[in-house]
Amino acid sequence: MNTHAIELTTRDGEQLRFECAADQNLLEAAANAHIILPAQCGQGNCGTCYADVTHGDFTLGKHNPAALPADDEAKGGTLLCCTFPKSDLRIDLPFDHDRILIGEIKIRNAEITAIDSVGENTLRLELRLAPNEDGGSVAEFEPGQFMELEVPDQDIKRAYSLANIGNWDGRLEFLIRLQPGGLFSTWLREQAAVGQTLIVHGPKGAFGLSESGLRPRWFVAGGTGLAPMLSMLRRMAEFQEPHPARLYFGANRAEELFCQTELKALQAELPQLQVIYCVWKPGNSWQGFCGTPVDALAQDLDSTTVLPDIYLCGPPALIDAAEAAAKAKGVPDKQVLSERFLPA
Amino acid sequence: MFCYQCEQTDRSNADSGCATAKGMCGKDATTSDLQDLLVHGVKGIAQYAKRARALNAPDNAADDFILYAMFTTLTNVNFNATRFVAMIQEAAQIRDRVKASYMQAALASGLTPEELTGPAVWQPAADMDGMLKQAANVGINAGLDQVGPDIIGLRSLVLYGLKGVCAYAHHAYVLGKESNTIYAGIEDALDFLSSNPTDVEALLNQSMALGTLNLEVMALLDEANTGNFGAQQPTQVRITPIKGKAILVSGHDLGDLAALLEQTKDTGINIYTHGEMLPAHAYPKLKAYPHLVGNYGGAWQDQQKEFAEFPGAILMTSNCIIEPQAQYRQRIFTAGPVGWPGVRHISDKNFAPLIQAANALPGFKDDISEKFVTVGFGRDAVLGVADKVIDAVKSGAIQHFFLVGGCDGAAPGRNYYTEFAEQAPQDTVVMTLGCAKYRFNQHDFGDIGGIPRLLDIGQCNDSYSAIKIATALAGAFECGVNELPLSLVVSWFEQKAAAVLLTLLALGIRNIRLGPTLPAFLTPNLVQVLVDKFGLQPITTAQADIEASLTRKAA
Repeated sequence: MNTHAIELTTRDGEQLRFECAADQNLLEAAANAHIILPAQCGQGNCGTCYADVTHGDFTLGKHNPAALPADDEAKGGTLLCCTFPKSDLRIDLPFDHDRILIGEIKIRNAEITAIDSVGENTLRLELRLAPNEDGGSVAEFEPGQFMELEVPDQDIKRAYSLANIGNWDGRLEFLIRLQPGGLFSTWLREQAAVGQTLIVHGPKGAFGLSESGLRPRWFVAGGTGLAPMLSMLRRMAEFQEPHPARLYFGANRAEELFCQTELKALQAELPQLQVIYCVWKPGNSWQGFCGTPVDALAQDLDSTTVLPDIYLCGPPALIDAAEAAAKAKGVPDKQVLSERFLPA
Repeated sequence: MFCYQCEQTDRSNADSGCATAKGMCGKDATTSDLQDLLVHGVKGIAQYAKRARALNAPDNAADDFILYAMFTTLTNVNFNATRFVAMIQEAAQIRDRVKASYMQAALASGLTPEELTGPAVWQPAADMDGMLKQAANVGINAGLDQVGPDIIGLRSLVLYGLKGVCAYAHHAYVLGKESNTIYAGIEDALDFLSSNPTDVEALLNQSMALGTLNLEVMALLDEANTGNFGAQQPTQVRITPIKGKAILVSGHDLGDLAALLEQTKDTGINIYTHGEMLPAHAYPKLKAYPHLVGNYGGAWQDQQKEFAEFPGAILMTSNCIIEPQAQYRQRIFTAGPVGWPGVRHISDKNFAPLIQAANALPGFKDDISEKFVTVGFGRDAVLGVADKVIDAVKSGAIQHFFLVGGCDGAAPGRNYYTEFAEQAPQDTVVMTLGCAKYRFNQHDFGDIGGIPRLLDIGQCNDSYSAIKIATALAGAFECGVNELPLSLVVSWFEQKAAAVLLTLLALGIRNIRLGPTLPAFLTPNLVQVLVDKFGLQPITTAQADIEASLTRKAA
């Protein structure tokens, strides 16, 4: 779809620009461009996002006439939350530049504090964000988000989900599968050491817990897809959230499973958490579920009375299979949330 | 969902009210419906509690739950569906407990226990989907087709006023004050609502009874505040930051603030007040803490920008919370009745995680040049100089008093209150309370013979102080409050304001100007009743209303 160029001018004369699609409201498009304009209800009722369009055409959606008096509307006044552009627009904002929040992706240095092997070809990487000038270090992120890790002076950058939860020690924890020939994997295997510095970009990403009351939460993870699930489950434990929870954690072989100790500790804090380890090619000694986590999911969906929220993370094939299984069992699309691990 | 309890409610359709997936306040349909069901459950507790109390078997712990539960359903307090599901289950358990003691007390007195119906016999569904189905039949609009909008509007007036009463009573309770009379009044009102009343006269009487009850509640809260922290004293409050680590405390709960001040003593962290916490600086036992350094920001509706820019941790102790933005979601904490999904909640006054966050965050890097506002004109301070004030009125130096206060909000029409206060003639005094003050409290009003022209009385519940001041002045001039050269210009937003309005009406105070818009639940017929009975007036323009107020005095 075509987008239109939007130019905002604040009362004190600062200009900001962003693109807005014809079917998108200006407030939302600005936010996508990290321009957070003053607004409140977002539904055309409160009048907080009033502005004057000086050039261009637009459609004004449903709104409260009291929030946009007729004489203001007549002179181009509009409510940004229900304004959809039909052409490029120039807009005067009735406030100064300092009323606008500019949200930008943070880029910071972080020191490697631990690299541990946790399973076959799988590492746990722990970083600590460089402290600010007076020694504080804050790791603010939502469970389910990821960060991009960059090796300084080498053209190596890769996104990994966070496995821990936000904290005030600056700690970041990642679970990383070493990919044969992968640039970051090779660097990790051959050069990385405790004390080295990485550049971290983020947090980013919208994957995370959906607040839908007490509906059961089922987490399906393949390999290091466990990382965001650990983060979400740790948040649930911290907040003592009472939702029934299940984790289906799968690997090809039993030796490739990891974090069993961490999961046991989590179950102590979150007693309602069931963990179902799934091994696709089990050896003779394997006592757990034989098959993929999607097989286990499909089997349990057959026998459940309440359709859960399903969280998926792992390779695309796993996610596609799980989505298909959920659909076949009648789980509504909006109850299936996923994060795909795509090759770099 | 259907909700029209606050001033901001959706008015884009002919029938006002939020009825889509999300209300104007950010409350989603699920949470809204669960709140309706919780209120239903609470009515069931009250049905038995009232009767048990009559048989000398009161269960005050059940009433404490009622206060808390009702408080969580106020506008901008709790948005956490999970907590509502748990509270609904708890409500049914408490109801069963109170029922058992009622049955026992009745049998012990040789009486046959009454067979109650409605909320008294409701059983919560096993899961949330079931609860949402139950909620569909118990919302405020239930029975609209049978009884019509006027009756629904009057029930709303009672329910919303009652929510405000419960919130204030909860504030008093957490500071160690409770009262059997107040509990009995609250139980009565809930029991009355549980009967789905249809008699206009009875509904109006119940509204007025709540107004009277709320005066008692505000007196109790005043006693709790002044008893714990001393009487408010006129105090200059710094409104610009100073260098150092920082915690911002918003909401109304002085007890939470006091606990935090104690826990942060000698840590080097500075504590700032936000919104309705501003009057805290006037209480001797709170301002004794040197690290209670100042006030930051304005009224609640500006919090998303202000909190994002605040370089420390944030504590929200009561209303009004709005959706925490990503920039500060990790460093805002809720306490008491407040909740937001995904935001850390501290329920035991152990603020260690908040302090840890503040220590890790940068804090303010520099002092910003100092700027002050003056607060602390509670009844003690004002009545302490009553002679001076009375002389100034008698000599004509003070022509008129305006009380311009209440809640603030985002609606553009609220500029009226700024204009009103700033355009009030130089020989008039403006008293204010609530967060509406932020619209003009940095304006230089000057003084009249040493009496400041702007007197900040405190929080919204300090309406009690304003009433005391007005009554004392009326006593000095040997007239009624309505005959004083005093006009009330009230700005409302949520249900605490509804309770205060009922109190003013129950006291017979006439000609109150109410805005920025009238409550959506008041139908034209009900507005007419309030106009006829109490001379209630919607605001017009600041200039016209100032002139009309001054002319009335002359007439």
